[in-house]
Amino acid sequence: MTLFHFFNCAILTFGPHAVYYSATPLSEYDTLGTSIKAALVYLGTALVKLVCLATFLKVSENDSFDPYQELLKALIGFIDVAGLYFALTQLTHRNISQNHKFQAVGLGWAFADSVLHRLAPLWVGARGLEFTWDYILQGLEANANLVLSISLAALGSLMWLRKNKPKTLIPIIYACAGIVATMPSITSYLRRGLGWHLPKVVGFELFTSLMMAFISWQLFSACQRPSS
Amino acid sequence: MLDSMYSMIALVFILVACVELCDAATVVDVYRLIQYDISGVPFGSRLATLNHHAGSLHFTPGADLSRTVVIIPIRELNITFVKEYITQRKPLGGLLFLLPQIFDFEDRGATVSEDQVHEKGLMKTVLAELEKLLIHANIPYPVYFAFENDDIDTVLSDIKRNDATGQPATATTGGSIDRVSWCILSVVCKSKSIEIQVVVSAPEPKRIASPTITNIQGWLPGLKADGDPNQLPTIAIVVSYDTFGTAPALSVGTDSNGSGVVALLEIARLFSLLYSNPKTRGRYNLLFGLTSGGPYNYNGTQKWLRSFDQRLRESIDYAICLNSIGSWDNELWIHVSKPPENAYIKQIFEGFSNVAKELGLEIGLKHKKINISNPRVAWEHEQFSRLRITAATLSELSVAPDILESTGGLSDNRYFVNETAIVRSIKLVAESIARHIYSHQGENIKVFADDSSLAVNPSYVKSWLDLLSQTPRVAPFLSKNDPFVMALKKELEDHAHEVNVQHEALDGMFTFYDSTKAKLNIYQVASVTFDLLLLLVLGSYLIVLFSFLVITTRGLDDLISLFRRPTSRKVKTA
Repeated sequence: MTLFHFFNCAILTFGPHAVYYSATPLSEYDTLGTSIKAALVYLGTALVKLVCLATFLKVSENDSFDPYQELLKALIGFIDVAGLYFALTQLTHRNISQNHKFQAVGLGWAFADSVLHRLAPLWVGARGLEFTWDYILQGLEANANLVLSISLAALGSLMWLRKNKPKTLIPIIYACAGIVATMPSITSYLRRGLGWHLPKVVGFELFTSLMMAFISWQLFSACQRPSS
Repeated sequence: MLDSMYSMIALVFILVACVELCDAATVVDVYRLIQYDISGVPFGSRLATLNHHAGSLHFTPGADLSRTVVIIPIRELNITFVKEYITQRKPLGGLLFLLPQIFDFEDRGATVSEDQVHEKGLMKTVLAELEKLLIHANIPYPVYFAFENDDIDTVLSDIKRNDATGQPATATTGGSIDRVSWCILSVVCKSKSIEIQVVVSAPEPKRIASPTITNIQGWLPGLKADGDPNQLPTIAIVVSYDTFGTAPALSVGTDSNGSGVVALLEIARLFSLLYSNPKTRGRYNLLFGLTSGGPYNYNGTQKWLRSFDQRLRESIDYAICLNSIGSWDNELWIHVSKPPENAYIKQIFEGFSNVAKELGLEIGLKHKKINISNPRVAWEHEQFSRLRITAATLSELSVAPDILESTGGLSDNRYFVNETAIVRSIKLVAESIARHIYSHQGENIKVFADDSSLAVNPSYVKSWLDLLSQTPRVAPFLSKNDPFVMALKKELEDHAHEVNVQHEALDGMFTFYDSTKAKLNIYQVASVTFDLLLLLVLGSYLIVLFSFLVITTRGLDDLISLFRRPTSRKVKTA
């Protein structure tokens, strides 16, 4: 019975990625290779981040919010952005439109993130007899993360791949990218500094991810109009 | 390379499987009801493993409890419910009784207030009745005892809340639609409720093969005059130290018969002081006996006496057995099996009465004839009487206990025992014996006067009593070299001249089964309906997500064409 619960939580955590791939035109253009490459880049980025965190960060005894440490973590978080830049620009992709490239990269990125961060706790924890809401909330968090990754990839492709952008929109693009990139620090502040409980934090993540997705979609379509 | 990979994978699987088992929210120590047979007739709880949902006494009447463990705190015990279920042999998943925290003998830091002791006094009768019911019943499901603590209290309140909400509304409003909607609502609510599952994984109880009973005897020889060939007369003081109770891991028997053991050790100490100087050594030998097998018709005493040689048996003037002398106020009883008119009995009783009068307590004489053909032995002195040795039992009980009664059960606890009572009993017995030895009958000389070097030492009594009230002593569960038995032997060696230990096998009439302690894991589990509902919700969420994405990226026509594809293909091929 508890394996059933593990199966449910796994569907919630990893299902949307598969659904996204099959529902959008990504499957028609066979962009699986791009996603896999993006996932591998994420792996490399995660390793680099780990090394930096281990070198520069102090282990704190209590779970309080330390601004200096959080600033350091945010700076290290920008390695994420560098990784995304690498995946978007440096990797050789087959002939796929920009529209699909950022989606594939974002999808691969989010999938690798979910697998790395959520699969092990799920396997170990969700199969026991004891029932907690944690794993369902973790799945919802994975969903929010997917949306955020795709938005970040979209903004990234706007910043680095699109050459002719309307001048007025450029600062907005950079601002939104900044917000999305620092989202982990923001959630960590909410959890530790303000003491929000997990359901509240996950709700906030879902809300902001939808907002960011909407904004980046608008920006993307706004930038697309002059060229068409 | 491939082999190492396989072994790695196997290791990972094993690790992963192990992790699954250790994640209970609460783990509690539980103690099982005793399981034993008398001549093949089974008694007690026959099972040890438990894996069921938990319920409380607030279940709906008529509900099926065969897969429920009912958790009952003793404070709220409804003895009729338990009696009904046990005597009518109704099916039940298991029983878990919660004893108040202050009964826990391992909880040394607890201080007890006056009203707590009074409350415990009320509970004593309830517990005694429950114990009697459980010991003499054959229960085909596991019965466990545990002590209340904060974790279990919260779990119990959760269970009560669950049971209360699970009750169907007795007043059903008319109309089938109402009923349908109520059914759906109740299914939804019930499926979302978190159930409590209790698991005890204990090994199958095995029969204890050849349980041993250990008798310890100490010998203090008297002063033999030079050239006197006759054997000196002997006075024996005998106490049985083992217990029998509902939960063998909790049977400490502070009063029955820890008080007797403490008294014997103190008397031994006093007489060893007296006998250490040849000038004060009496012309009587003293024989101290710590026997086992008390609850089983004093089986140990019988075997011990049979091992005596004829000369020793004939030299015993009389034997005093002590049984439960820890919680009396003003009255003690001497039980005999020889008629009170007997000269020896008269002498003993007069000696004790005189000392009792001086100490300010009452002493009465009770006569109970023994029936040789009846195997039931109610008092220890009866074993002596069957071999024609004069003997008597000193006890606070006025009536002979039934079999397996007053043998140290759950309610026989340190708080109900009064060490001043034990000290007074020690004074009574020691003084009476001393006056008999030194022929000071009737004279007002106190051998063991207070403030003398031979005074009874209350702290010695208290420390041994505290130790005894923390040591469960059910004989079949004590191994041959049990540390407590060895401690008793060592203590007796300090006082007596010669100490012998005799190991015997317990009579075949009683058979015992092990597995007395276990750990109870309490899990909060969600029912299967909850997971099914969750699966439904997730399935619909993914379908909605899929449709949404198809509509936004490809357009509504594509979505519809997805469903029309098979038919359109057929048209194409045709």
